[in-house]
Amino acid sequence: MTQKYSNADKTQSNTIECLNISEKKVGLFVTCLVNTMRPSIGFASITLLEQAGCNVEVPELQSCCGQPAFNSGDDEGTRQIAYQTIKQFENYDYVVLPSGSCAGMIKKNFIEVFKDQPEWLARAKHLASITHELLSFLVDVCQFEPNDVELDGSYTYHDSCTGYRSLNVYEQPRKMLSQVKNLEHKPLNNHAECCGFGGTFCVKYSDISNEIVAEKVDNVVDTKADYLLGGDMGCLMNIAGKLNREGHKEIKALHTAEVLAGLAPELLGGKDAS
Amino acid sequence: MTKHINNPKNELRRAKIFNAIKAAAPTVTTDVKSIEAEALELLKESEFARPKLLSEDATQALMLRIEAGLVIGTSCEKISTAHDLPNAVNQFFSKHFLPKELKVQNIEPLQKLNWEGISTDVDIQQDNTVGLCWAEYGIAETGSFVVHSSPEMPILLNFLPLYLIAVIPKSKILHYMDDYALIANEIAKKKETPRNMCLISGVSGTTDIEGVLVQGAHGPEVLHLIIIEDQ
Amino acid sequence: MQVNSPENFTENVSEALAQPNLKKVIRRTTDKAETKRAEAVTNFPEFENARLQGQKIKDHTIKYMDHYLAEFEKNALAQGTIVHWASTAEEASKIVLDICRQHNAKKVTRSKSMLGEEIGLAHAFDNSDIERIETDLAEHIIQLAGDPPSHIIWPAMHRSREDVVKLFREFHTDPTYSEEITDLVRSARRDLRTKFLTSDIGISGSNFLLADSGSSCTVTNEGNAELTITPPKVHIVTAGIEKLVPSMAHAVPLLRLLTRSATGAEITQYNTFHNGPKRANDADGPEECHIVLVDNGRTKMLAENMEAMLRCIRCGACMNHCVVYKHIGGHAYGSVYPGPMGSVLTPHLNSLKVANKQTHACTMNGRCEEVCPVNIPLPTLLRSLRAKSWQKKYEPLTNRFVVQSFAIMAKRPKLFQLLSSCGVIFMKVFSRKGWIKYMPFTSGWTRNRDLIEPESTTFMHQYKKMKKNKSSGA
Repeated sequence: MTQKYSNADKTQSNTIECLNISEKKVGLFVTCLVNTMRPSIGFASITLLEQAGCNVEVPELQSCCGQPAFNSGDDEGTRQIAYQTIKQFENYDYVVLPSGSCAGMIKKNFIEVFKDQPEWLARAKHLASITHELLSFLVDVCQFEPNDVELDGSYTYHDSCTGYRSLNVYEQPRKMLSQVKNLEHKPLNNHAECCGFGGTFCVKYSDISNEIVAEKVDNVVDTKADYLLGGDMGCLMNIAGKLNREGHKEIKALHTAEVLAGLAPELLGGKDAS
Repeated sequence: MTKHINNPKNELRRAKIFNAIKAAAPTVTTDVKSIEAEALELLKESEFARPKLLSEDATQALMLRIEAGLVIGTSCEKISTAHDLPNAVNQFFSKHFLPKELKVQNIEPLQKLNWEGISTDVDIQQDNTVGLCWAEYGIAETGSFVVHSSPEMPILLNFLPLYLIAVIPKSKILHYMDDYALIANEIAKKKETPRNMCLISGVSGTTDIEGVLVQGAHGPEVLHLIIIEDQ
Repeated sequence: MQVNSPENFTENVSEALAQPNLKKVIRRTTDKAETKRAEAVTNFPEFENARLQGQKIKDHTIKYMDHYLAEFEKNALAQGTIVHWASTAEEASKIVLDICRQHNAKKVTRSKSMLGEEIGLAHAFDNSDIERIETDLAEHIIQLAGDPPSHIIWPAMHRSREDVVKLFREFHTDPTYSEEITDLVRSARRDLRTKFLTSDIGISGSNFLLADSGSSCTVTNEGNAELTITPPKVHIVTAGIEKLVPSMAHAVPLLRLLTRSATGAEITQYNTFHNGPKRANDADGPEECHIVLVDNGRTKMLAENMEAMLRCIRCGACMNHCVVYKHIGGHAYGSVYPGPMGSVLTPHLNSLKVANKQTHACTMNGRCEEVCPVNIPLPTLLRSLRAKSWQKKYEPLTNRFVVQSFAIMAKRPKLFQLLSSCGVIFMKVFSRKGWIKYMPFTSGWTRNRDLIEPESTTFMHQYKKMKKNKSSGA
């Protein structure tokens, strides 16, 4: 591998770990938005992880990463949710989420609410150390390259904030997408500026959120790309919802995993993946 | 004056603030030596936390910086001795189409020069004047000159005229702001800090109306630095 | 002066969003600042080292704040500066007004100071018989307009050139009839020149206080601080106690960070260290010098684990890079300090009860922390304020109810899965052609954008079915 990362140390340690990926058990945390709104992202994740040689399991007793409670300042509510998640996932070798935002919650924020509980703090830290965002996991840990995927047209990429700033997700999706045949990249102006979703923010301050996403939509439309791709269902729902409200039905929003797993043609043809 | 210092209300407010700080951080040591050592340690990082200069030679670095247009409204030249200064000033007048009027700082190395043909009786409170001052130091990193207030250095001389010429002895050009600050720290140790120490890096400018840069907001619009080699 | 209250944040936001040109004028300034800062950082490869050093210098001084405050006081007194202490904003502005009255001052000139705004100096002078003259061009403009500042670096960024033309024509004694920006600046220069020279008292803030000498440092591009301070007989400095650094050598690394982060310039034109009254035979300078050291919530921040915020050097980078600030502007925050840093500061200067809404007006995108020159974890601090206001039950009951109900469901995965399935069925009822335009309980979303139609059943439902099929097939 020759590509550059801003976080070289992390990549290196991951490279050593990844030698016998097939012996490792991967727990997939599908996240609540994917579970309710867009199951195809979950299935795309399974497909890609299996193509990368992983042994994937989806624990059935999973719910939410706890971000709405955490960002509202409800530490006790966050802990109650986190107990569940830690118990469900701590025994896997890796935990993977198709969302930078939810992965960031587990990797960075669980430890915030367990400051005064040493036993749970240790367990939260362990979970944080095995948790990965899907797209960076595929590249950094599995050294995965998408095989034989094709999609006609052009895409632009929205980098979601937590993935980009906290988890160094930037090159990985672009690298994999560059291997998709017939797919052209059109850079997005202000690619890493927040889309205004912000979880509970978008309903608490709906009108500010609206101004922000309207600007994002202008930037997306300016690229004249056929597809808007990203790695977070929250941002995609927000931008796609605004694109549709503004009448830009020609631009389709897809999760990067859906494209890489070859689900795009099916999703674009009919709306149901299953 | 002392009535303020011994004001009991002031003492009470002072005590309140100190008590609040101590209550917030009760475990902090007050061993002055170790605090000073820690503070010194922090300065060692400066070497790795400052920009590279345009040249290893301080004078050249300063001049290159100004010539590259990195110091707002500022030009510079080098002359060999102070005796060349009146000639350089005359050229400055011609370049800016100015009458030969100059407020010369009342300092021996400037006053002793031959200012024939130049009117030095100028009221700097009026706008559109030219000031000439003798700087304490130059700083290559920022293209600055430094002045210290003194009986011979009215600070306003650097702020009231629309045109300002500052003379910097070559030997007093330092590489970095840190080099000047270390000198200032030594002056502070000797309790000799002057009322004002001004690091001036360009002309008076503003971007307050629609973000457009305008020079000569309140003070100089044009600044010319003259480096004297034999000093 | 019409000043918004932080308590009415929601209403302030609606007003701001309704102003057609506000976003444009904000962007004009913040976009430029953002681009220029990025260039400055690119041209300074040592920036990361610098900001770590800057952070350490501030942390060191905050850790030993009582030591450095005492040192500063001792050295300032030795130079003849009169040192005052103020625990609150009211105390601080009263001290300043009292000094002015003792000298029978008729006119005072001020160079821009956010602390001066914080302690309500402008207001205090306007309610007295002493004339206040703002000398920073932006402050001059908003004083004429009767506005509060909308940004800590460019307080008049919300005012257009046309506004300035009108204001100067109305208020300047020798106004320009040109609309060129250069001529407008000249008009202000003429107007302020005599005011500088005839002022009774000069008032400044301070960017840094040097403990080893008792000096205060002003940083300006206009040179108005020196012109404010030098001619009058009396100089008054007002400064927050967090402005301390051990010495000038410790201020230098912070100066490198400050200008690059604020405007993208490598250095501000005028960095001046002021140290007491004029010495015997000095050519100019004030005869008397006072400094008012202000707490106003800073020790409270120390006590409440918010000491990282005391690192702040007031560069404004966090607001220049904040998506929320860029759309609502500074006035909506209803506080002297807007944007991310303001949302953390205001609850401590005012109260969390009054200023908790701002702490939620953040998408937690992390951009402010990324650009902060002293690594203040602004999103973490904002969230910790949310946690405090949650504990104190300051949020509206409906918000608490929604968040708590969600948490109650989410900690019971089986219930959560069941309700998710119900949610999908409910949403399906309102879906048309792949989209939901309106649905009960989701107006926050559907007021401004459509909601994508979910698939027919949840992931978990489909996944279980798939697994069952696989095992029965095998």
